[in-house]
Amino acid sequence: MNTQRTPRSDKELWRNLAIQSPVAPVSAPAAVSEMDLAAWLEGRLTEEAAGPIEAAVAADPALRRAALDLADILGKPLPAAPERMVVRARALVGFEAERTIASGGLFSRWLFGRSRHALQQGVMAVAAVVIAAGGFMVGGGLSESLARQGEGHSATETVSTTSTASNEVSEFFAGDGI
Amino acid sequence: MGVAELNLIDLQALTRGDKRTWDAFVVAAAPLINAVVRRTLSAYRLSEEDVMDAAQDVFVRLCAQDFRLLKTYDPARAGLPTWLSVVSRSCAIDHLRRRRQATEPIDDVPEAFLGVEDRHVEKLRIPDGLLTARQVLVLKYLYDEERDVTEVARLLSVDAQTIRSTHHKALLRLRAHFREEGPGDGG
Repeated sequence: MNTQRTPRSDKELWRNLAIQSPVAPVSAPAAVSEMDLAAWLEGRLTEEAAGPIEAAVAADPALRRAALDLADILGKPLPAAPERMVVRARALVGFEAERTIASGGLFSRWLFGRSRHALQQGVMAVAAVVIAAGGFMVGGGLSESLARQGEGHSATETVSTTSTASNEVSEFFAGDGI
Repeated sequence: MGVAELNLIDLQALTRGDKRTWDAFVVAAAPLINAVVRRTLSAYRLSEEDVMDAAQDVFVRLCAQDFRLLKTYDPARAGLPTWLSVVSRSCAIDHLRRRRQATEPIDDVPEAFLGVEDRHVEKLRIPDGLLTARQVLVLKYLYDEERDVTEVARLLSVDAQTIRSTHHKALLRLRAHFREEGPGDGG
């Protein structure tokens, strides 16, 4: 009787492991962080640190394929990205001034910013002068206007009084039949 | 600017929100993000617009909440291109999930995504300590994924001979476990 086993191919042996090995609960590998996976892909981890990552990658077919894909992409020259992709991505971050305006805090930031204290004081002084000059001019203008109004009013009153008097005299004479 | 230039980006200025640095970052990162997103979504026959949106999702995620994600990147642990490729893949998968959850006529979903895989994949149960994690990984790549030794070597940043050696040692352990002689051992 031939007791010699027929040698199996390596692949069969691997498959047999699934069939013949005792059914035991397999502990789920820990989730791999993006930073850990990147470090592992670059081969920067020690054997000890790489163990859990490799166990997780071995246990997840999607992760196994992803690792190969990423290694492949990172290892060769890449085609340029569509211009529209670049334009859209650039628009996500604006210049500081734009962002400040967008956040609605331009005036308050300008007003209370420490670095621009001297500039603020200067601008505030100029603003005060402008307001004072404006007030003076408005005040002067008003006085003049009021003075003119006053003169006009007196003249009207005089005319009006005269006119009234004239009417009254006419009425008086008219009333007397003259 | 290219992917290699990504490592020259001033990360502090970038996470401060400096516009010029962001623009330079976008130019350097876009080819990589574009490539990863396209590769990740390639199996799902999505439109060009979906690819653009998924790529934009990557950039949004990077600068959201005052560049919170970018601030988690640690240059001491990995290069920016590698980390960015991992992040891009995650974003593309998230985009795909969201898109599928929203509205997806069943006819538009690739059959491969709906159905059970055609190929029979064994649920391997390996006794604890029989093989190292790396040996299991190498065997899975070579047998379950049917990948080439050079591909696996490139992934693990070792030469092909090291992969062959790892493979050989793993098989020795497996054979010992099954008390079986190897094919070339005169059995």
